Amino acid sequence: MNLRLTLFCYLFLLQGLAFGQTILSGRILDEKGIPLPGVNVLLKGSYDGTTSGVEGEFEFSTKKSGMQVLVFRLMGFKTLEIPVAVEGESLQIPDQELRESITDISGVTISAGAMEASDEKKSVVLRPLDIVTTPSAVGDIVGALQTLPGTSAVGNDGRLFVRGGDASEVGIYIDGLRVANAYGTTAGNVPTRTRFNPNLFKGTFFSTGGYSAEYGQALSSALALNTKDLSIRNQGDLSLMSVGGGYSHTLANEEQSITLTGNYFDLSPYQGLVKQDFDFERAPFGWDLEVAAQKKLGKDGLLKVLGRTESGGMKIRQPEPGQEGAGPLIDLRNQYSYAQSNWSKISPKGWTWFLGASISANSDEIAFDTIQTTRDNQLAHLKASTIRDFSDRVSMKLGVEHFFNTYAEGLPLQGLERSFQDGQTYLYTEWDWYLSKKLVVRGGLRGGLSSLSEEKWLDPRVSFAYQVSENGQVSLAAGKFSQAPLENYRVLNNDLKNTQADHLILNYFWNKDGITFRAEAFHKEYDELIRFEGVPMAPVNLRNEGSGFARGFDLFFRDRQTLKNTDYWVTYSFVDSKRSFEQFTTQVQPGFAPKHNLSVVVKHFVTGLKSQLGASLAVNDGYAYTNPNLPGEMNSKTPGFQNLSLSWSYLPRPNLIIHGAITNVLGRENIFGYDFSTTPNAQGVYESRAIGQPAPRFLFLGIFLTLSKDKNANQLNNL
Amino acid sequence: MKIFNLIFAFVFISFSAFSQSNGAFETAIKSQIQAMEQIDSPESAQEVSNSFLRIFEAESGEWLPLYYAALTKIETAFRFDVDKDAYFDEAIDLVQKAKEISPNNSELTALHGYALMGKVSVDPVSRGQNLSPQVMQLYGTAIGQDRSNPRAVVLMAQMELGMAEFFGQGPEKACGMARMAEELFRKESQKVDENYLLPTWGANTAKALIENCQ
Repeated sequence: MNLRLTLFCYLFLLQGLAFGQTILSGRILDEKGIPLPGVNVLLKGSYDGTTSGVEGEFEFSTKKSGMQVLVFRLMGFKTLEIPVAVEGESLQIPDQELRESITDISGVTISAGAMEASDEKKSVVLRPLDIVTTPSAVGDIVGALQTLPGTSAVGNDGRLFVRGGDASEVGIYIDGLRVANAYGTTAGNVPTRTRFNPNLFKGTFFSTGGYSAEYGQALSSALALNTKDLSIRNQGDLSLMSVGGGYSHTLANEEQSITLTGNYFDLSPYQGLVKQDFDFERAPFGWDLEVAAQKKLGKDGLLKVLGRTESGGMKIRQPEPGQEGAGPLIDLRNQYSYAQSNWSKISPKGWTWFLGASISANSDEIAFDTIQTTRDNQLAHLKASTIRDFSDRVSMKLGVEHFFNTYAEGLPLQGLERSFQDGQTYLYTEWDWYLSKKLVVRGGLRGGLSSLSEEKWLDPRVSFAYQVSENGQVSLAAGKFSQAPLENYRVLNNDLKNTQADHLILNYFWNKDGITFRAEAFHKEYDELIRFEGVPMAPVNLRNEGSGFARGFDLFFRDRQTLKNTDYWVTYSFVDSKRSFEQFTTQVQPGFAPKHNLSVVVKHFVTGLKSQLGASLAVNDGYAYTNPNLPGEMNSKTPGFQNLSLSWSYLPRPNLIIHGAITNVLGRENIFGYDFSTTPNAQGVYESRAIGQPAPRFLFLGIFLTLSKDKNANQLNNL
Repeated sequence: MKIFNLIFAFVFISFSAFSQSNGAFETAIKSQIQAMEQIDSPESAQEVSNSFLRIFEAESGEWLPLYYAALTKIETAFRFDVDKDAYFDEAIDLVQKAKEISPNNSELTALHGYALMGKVSVDPVSRGQNLSPQVMQLYGTAIGQDRSNPRAVVLMAQMELGMAEFFGQGPEKACGMARMAEELFRKESQKVDENYLLPTWGANTAKALIENCQ
């Protein structure tokens, strides 16, 4: 009896489980009412469900009943959950809509002014590898960027000149922290290089205008370098070069890694073999030590430390125009240190946190014949910022920064020194609104104040991007940018205010299957530029009185698809710039802003030779200069600049690279301007001396060997 | 006594319901593993991976549905003309999720490497330098986690062969690994019966590699 009851209960209940099969059906559409196939439709907590068909239709049966949750999932769309009362034999669900979720990959990105070198992102113009394999760059980051639109090659300087701006108008950042004196100190028209090795960085963000409110103190351009994350294995890297050598050792495990590097270079042996046109009494030499460490903190936190110290110098004689003999001796010694640490954490709840601090310290001792001079400056940067994603459509960036800057220059033999200290505090915020996947608006504000000039300012910035076709987009950027005058001017007049620039940029970007086309037009208005009387070496009556403009357009085309194993890019930049600045009394074309600039880079991989061959060509129409024998300022132009460089990288074994490069293969005698004598000669003529290149060509040969348990590792990134 | 029986009945019912649901899990996984073999288009692949993900929705403590969903994504990206990067990225996301359920799982580590190898294949020139060492490391870790995992070994053999070809070196190392993998596959096949749900794929790749060696 009892057993019967039990069995009855059991069978009854068991049957109950099989009761009531319901067929659910319906249709799933996107926001525009277009059917969505492939959507995973399921009843929460069961295996019941299906995948929607071509017409967005779905139909499946379930044995569940009562209030249930119906879930719709599709990659790239927000998951939709709706409550349904499951009853009866069939249940028709009304049409449902899935909203697209906007991600870094699917959403339009602001490309006005921006160029990115990375492996991952969409709006990439350059890949990290390109920086080390561009022949004319010879391993210098800035050398590679000089093949991009909006830049001009100024061969006797080596720094980055963007759209009619001088080199100081480019702000350089490592992991969001400012780097002061990022270029090696140089003298006597010997071109300089970036101090930092490209192998430190995983990605580069280069803006030629209209850049983010996160950055400031740069009238033209921001260059943001992002250091690598954790190294993945222990290895040693040995490099032997025609100009020196170095060794780098990396220790790594899952949680942390550290790389120690030491390099020494000395151009003496090279200059002993290859005749130089410059009169070096001591060829450029130097050493550097560097440490880079990374450590995971918690699940999503990362702590990075980067430190570098270096020392170097050179001695060079520079003949003076109209005078006999080798000219006065310039003796240069430089010490430089940079250290920074930053911590970042991406929390899964939509917050990203960043804390960082950096310090740059530079010390120069330069003797001009018998005159000894010293120059010391330090820059400390503290920064805290956060990014909050309120949804996939709205995100906010908020940050606070403080800079502490000291500068001193002196004549130690005379016991003279002058100096200044400045504290600058900034607050910035930037908001991104995705109105749809195809339209984004970004608005930013950056406010700052300086303790030295007692000035306060607010720089608003705004940009838009709109996707006009499947592969094309248009973006527009405008904004105000402020920059403190050069330190050697501020030390003479502490009251100098910020120099200012307004940018307006219109950009078109098209990218498909390895082919990139980019066109950009810009207008830049300068104001409050520094003017003075006298010569740049000894300016008097410094004041914020100059103004000017730069306008033009640039074109970029890259194709790594059409020709097998071949990658090439062509850049043309037109810059029309005039400004009244420094000693100039009228608006003139600056000497660093050639009008027409063309650059071509071609790389070809020859599998049979296990080699990559590269060629790069840079051409411009010449640099403006003032000839005192003619009336007016900036009244003359040098012959056009040309540089054809070739390189060959040979990989005989996976862990060995032999790299050779030769710049200015054709040996063109480029002239960057003229020095004129300060007084006319007996015939009433100012005598001149052309400012040329240290040597017609530069040859580089390097052997890079990686020692690791993994024999396939090599130093391709270190070239 | 009555009450006892009732309790017994309910326990029995819930037990059978439980075992039924577990059996349903196995049946569902098995039927989808079979469905994987019938994939002939990105659409049918989507149906299969969606089915695996539905199983996961109901059994959120199981890593296998995520594993097979990710494997389906990877194979779809290799076989069909789809947005390969998106598929490989999705697969990596699924593997990461599965790793949280089952850490230090050799199969998941190897699959992660496989998806990353797919990403390298999309743009070998620019990604190879950075990602290839990561792929090799994942395969190495997978072998360390389970020395009898033939997939970790065969995938590494494949990677070794690719690099040896690129650098014009002999295939000896890759061939040795492929033979090792074949032996592991042979041992694995002895364990496989109709109730076996764990991954068994890859033996054909080992065979193809070895044929290439002769």
